[in-house]
Amino acid sequence: MEVVFILLPLALLIAGIMLALFVWAAKTGQFDDLDTPPVRMLLDDDAPQDGRR
Amino acid sequence: MSAALPSARAAHAPLVHCAHCGLDVPLRQASPETEPSFCCAGCRQAYALLRAWGLDDYYVHLERQDGRGVPARVTGRRFSELDAADLVGHEVTLLPNGRARAALYIEGVHCAACIWLLETLPRALPGLASVRVTLPSGTAEVEWDPAALALSAVARAFDGIGYPPHLARPEALAIARRHEERSLLQKTGVAAACAMNVMFIHLALYAGDGQDMSPRFTEFFRVASLLVSLPVMFYSARPFWISAWAGLRQQVPRIDIPLSLALILAFAYSVGATIMGHGPVYFDSLCGLVALLLAARYLQLQAQRLALERTAVMRHVAFAEFARRLDEDGTSHEVPVAGLVPGERVEVCSGDLVPIDGIIESGQSSVELAVLTGESAAIGVAPGDRVYAGSSNLGARLVVVTESVGPATRLGGLLRLIDEAMQQRPPFVARADAWSRVFVWVVLGCATVLGLVTLALTNGNVGLALTRVVALLVVSCPCALALATPVALTVALGRAARLGIFIKNPNIIELCGDVDTLLLDKTGTLTEGTVRVHSTYGDAAALGLAGALEGESSHPVALALRRALLPPLHAVHVMRAVSERAGLGITGVVDGRTVAVGNARWLASLGTVISIEWQARADALAVAGESPVFIAIEGELRAMCGLKDPLRPEAAALLSTLRGANVRPYILSGDHRDVVASVARELGIASADAHGEMTPEDKRNFVESLRGACPQSRVLMVGDGVNDAAALALADVGVSMHGGAGAAVLAADVVLTQPGLAPLVTLWVGSARVMGVMRRNLAFSLLYNLGASGLAIAGLVGPLLAAVLMPASSLLVILSSVQGRTYFKRPQRRVAPQQHAAEILWRHERKS
Repeated sequence: MEVVFILLPLALLIAGIMLALFVWAAKTGQFDDLDTPPVRMLLDDDAPQDGRR
Repeated sequence: MSAALPSARAAHAPLVHCAHCGLDVPLRQASPETEPSFCCAGCRQAYALLRAWGLDDYYVHLERQDGRGVPARVTGRRFSELDAADLVGHEVTLLPNGRARAALYIEGVHCAACIWLLETLPRALPGLASVRVTLPSGTAEVEWDPAALALSAVARAFDGIGYPPHLARPEALAIARRHEERSLLQKTGVAAACAMNVMFIHLALYAGDGQDMSPRFTEFFRVASLLVSLPVMFYSARPFWISAWAGLRQQVPRIDIPLSLALILAFAYSVGATIMGHGPVYFDSLCGLVALLLAARYLQLQAQRLALERTAVMRHVAFAEFARRLDEDGTSHEVPVAGLVPGERVEVCSGDLVPIDGIIESGQSSVELAVLTGESAAIGVAPGDRVYAGSSNLGARLVVVTESVGPATRLGGLLRLIDEAMQQRPPFVARADAWSRVFVWVVLGCATVLGLVTLALTNGNVGLALTRVVALLVVSCPCALALATPVALTVALGRAARLGIFIKNPNIIELCGDVDTLLLDKTGTLTEGTVRVHSTYGDAAALGLAGALEGESSHPVALALRRALLPPLHAVHVMRAVSERAGLGITGVVDGRTVAVGNARWLASLGTVISIEWQARADALAVAGESPVFIAIEGELRAMCGLKDPLRPEAAALLSTLRGANVRPYILSGDHRDVVASVARELGIASADAHGEMTPEDKRNFVESLRGACPQSRVLMVGDGVNDAAALALADVGVSMHGGAGAAVLAADVVLTQPGLAPLVTLWVGSARVMGVMRRNLAFSLLYNLGASGLAIAGLVGPLLAAVLMPASSLLVILSSVQGRTYFKRPQRRVAPQQHAAEILWRHERKS
């Protein structure tokens, strides 16, 4: 059981890294517009021609 | 003679679709089979540009969407004001890599195909580095190489394909709002992450509770959860502390005051228990509470920002921002309107908005004042006449001497009226907030009494009393209550926005259900807003000649006649001596025959005799709400057609729906009395409730008198023009129609961005459902709080039960909000888009 003394801080450290990534993303405005990117990624640089689809 | 008058026939039979926007093109206007057809000059130009630039994949994307575009609006401006050097450093940023960046508001961005087109534009335009579109706000961030390309050239490219741009000026308020939103999102994220980790740690504590877990483990877990909840208390929950403190200092009761008190008490107690090594700890419940409350606030803020950003665009679209100033040597320069001074001469080209109030110095034309008066008919103007800012020039070029600019114009006065009306709006009391405030004070009172009673009964056992009080505070924290309305509202606002209904002011959702008076504008609201030929009488050959003659004019009536009367495969007509008299009619020699088209007065002045039979038919048309136009060949009256701004097809259904809900409809229009009366008759509205020839001030006063006469009644006003704006602002609920003027959009509470009246029904029905969901949520959370408080007072609630009950109740409220079917599109009959033969051929070629 003594292993939790190491595991719990380790788990919290990993969670902290994730959280830092989220805060960075929020700070740089990546959550400002949630409507355009999902549409944009559906658009290819060239629209596929119907015959090749 | 009567035998020479064949019965009325349908004047337009839409069969062909515009190759650019997909709208119906009247058959008579369609091109020969081998060429694509267009509904307007804008679409024709946009189509040609897209093909020339190799960007015609746009149509493939559009077809995948569902084949619906919007007609391209091409202004043909030079945009030279965008090249001014003083923009650099403010609106235009120079980047270290030598490029420049600016934000533009773009008119007409509405779908994925638009995004594709605008973001692929750099391929066609060397020097333009990148375009990033933000769909909800309709803005684009452009980066270009200033050495290779001017910003005005970029703007002209956008304009040429039907997306007129406007320079976005960074507004301090919008930036602050965005900053606040980001900061709130960070706090929410931190709180949520910490709350989940604390819950995991507490899970270990709860699991070990009955099993003699060694005290060193218990102590370790408790200290760990205390440490993890520190960021929540000292960083995430700061908005609560700040708001509570401000409320205390200003002595305004806010829900954040008791909330903060409960949070601080419970946290302090738990910290004490951790240090002392005994007693319950509530870190998990506290962190969960903070995370959920922050999430609700964030969602609400985001939904409101989206609705506001959408309408901020309109501020730029509405009014002429530039004017063509004529210098002494006769050259014209585009200058900002604000820079004009009275006495300067301004050129107003065909299709332009008049930028100032002034007197015409030279030129004859017709102008439409619909934005100011709501009257759909164009007025002929000549030198010496006065024209007003906001009206549009439909005919030839005019030179106008500036009299007044900006706020001093009639339009400026109207806008001031709107601002005043918006400030008069009765303040709305957030009912749920009031409820939870009361509730929380009750809980605090109960907690005090409970503590004192426990102390008295146990002879001063402070530990037990505190345990009970903290359990009560934690379990009855109005989390579900605080979530009940914001979550339901946010979900509803998001759904409405996806259907093209932008609710700027969420308070109106509550008012919508109580509406008992409906005020409808006529032009553009009940009707489509453009004249069309509704019926024709007489000689077909004469009608064809009239159509050919009208091809020489760009007046809206001429456009309607040309669309309806000119056959698609017509011979080339030889025109001579064409002369147009604004407001009266047009004459010319077509294929050697003298043709005159116009009103009775005009034809009579040319010597044409209008017989009693023709006059009777014209009178019958006028009663039916149509304006008669006469056609004479060689001085003899041969044919006639009736022009009408047709009712929207769904108008009748809307009114019968509303009448079923006991709503009294009125028509308020600036149009002629007779026209308004005929529309009212067609819709079954009492003639006493149909008011014509109303000025914007009349409309506003009408709303005021209605509200004065019966303060309990709720007034919903629907309109689209500047002339409706003051009334929209003053009404309990103001709805601006699709394509509404900027002032109307700014003044309205709800902005519709889909054409037609159907969204109005969606708004109506949906708002009632939102209220239903909110009531359900409130009832449930009150019930939960009462039950849980009872358990806590009885001393039955420990940290485990609190940790289960609290999130469960909040989750239920969220589920109930998401599940409720609020705003949704009613099934609509869809006309299968028919492709033009050439269009199909062209696509076929691309495939092979």
